[in-house]
Amino acid sequence: MRNLLNFLAKYSYWFLFLVLETLSLALLFRFNRYQQGRFFTSSNYVAGKVYDASNEFTSYFNLRSINDGLLDRNMILSKQVINLRRALEDYRLDSVEINSIEKMLPDSTKLIKAHVIRNSLNMVDNYITLDKGKLDGVKKEMGIVNGEGVVGIVYLTSRKYAVAISLLNSKSSVSCKILGTNYFGYLKWEYGNTRYAFLKELPRHASFSLGDSIVTSGYSSVFPEGIMVGTIEDMTNSGDGFSTVLKVKLSTDFGKLGDVRIISRPTLNEKNKLEGSVIGK
Amino acid sequence: MIINYIQRALWFVGLVLLQVLILNHVLIAGYATPLLYVYFILKLDSGISRYSLLMLAFLLGIVIDIFSNTPGLNATAAVFLAFLRPSILRLFTPRDILGDFVPSFRSMGIWPFLKFAIASVLVLTTILIVMEFFSFVNPLSILIRIASCSLLTLFCIVGVESLRRA
Repeated sequence: MRNLLNFLAKYSYWFLFLVLETLSLALLFRFNRYQQGRFFTSSNYVAGKVYDASNEFTSYFNLRSINDGLLDRNMILSKQVINLRRALEDYRLDSVEINSIEKMLPDSTKLIKAHVIRNSLNMVDNYITLDKGKLDGVKKEMGIVNGEGVVGIVYLTSRKYAVAISLLNSKSSVSCKILGTNYFGYLKWEYGNTRYAFLKELPRHASFSLGDSIVTSGYSSVFPEGIMVGTIEDMTNSGDGFSTVLKVKLSTDFGKLGDVRIISRPTLNEKNKLEGSVIGK
Repeated sequence: MIINYIQRALWFVGLVLLQVLILNHVLIAGYATPLLYVYFILKLDSGISRYSLLMLAFLLGIVIDIFSNTPGLNATAAVFLAFLRPSILRLFTPRDILGDFVPSFRSMGIWPFLKFAIASVLVLTTILIVMEFFSFVNPLSILIRIASCSLLTLFCIVGVESLRRA
């Protein structure tokens, strides 16, 4: 005890020293803006480093729960994406694309909403079954389109259903032209790749370049003029030497047909009758 | 005894006035300022109690600070020097001196006193200037400032000491 007191007595000036130094430093940092700022920025730096280090360390403990959270979030988001995509598709089919088709169509035409309930791709003659029939106004030889382009032509109708010849059918033949010119030919599909068809009987002198758009010509009674069919992918000469054959990349993806529109043209019959009477005589 | 106190008080006042009125405005080459007030701490006699030493140094520092508008800066350095002064003095006191003495050329001899002064001044200026900069971003200019201040201060101390001896 006495040693301790002796020790304290001997070194008590240390306390005075510390008190005076503390007082001086307190004054220094309290009243000198420069040192004050310096002090706080460097202490912030030190504190920041310490927090960094501790955070670095503790963050590993939370990884599992963070992972779980991210997984949950991921699932919620992907669900949302699917819903939104579906909504977007509906929106596109219902308004934007059909609106643009509607703009192209004469006023007299009407669009009938329909849904593909059966479709095939791998036959030589592919048919599409639709869920709308005579009761809805669907008639033979009406054209079918979707948001991307031409789909096919109605072939048979029942009261509530209709069967259509898909473009992917050897019997299908659609009159088409190159967009921006009036050179026309017939679009035929040959068994094989469902993304390509061939535009035949195009005059040899027709000018075009690869990538040009092929649209319906409007010469056949089925489709009005200007509906998208596809783009020119390649060209060859036909066997007879009088015409060019174009390989056309179809804009419609037949592998995922869903909602389609049937083009109803009230004047169709009249035109057919007139044409029939000419040919008949 | 009373004369001794009065003398010390006069030195105190004189050095403070000299420092704040003249020497603080000296800035040679943008670096060197003489800190002659340290002379007061050097000249306190060797037998003074550590408390008195610390208190006097603090008082001196704070007065200088008040006048030069840097509260705490000189006080910090002066208190630190006062804390170390007994050790420094013991280190440089010649063996043959007995009893208390006032450090000076005459009492200690020129070279020991000079070493004592150099060490003390270096401690003071180092603390003072490090606290003044309060960063080691620019170590070269800190070192230059410490060296030049110390040198100039030592010049002044040697000058005053020589005059007193004469």
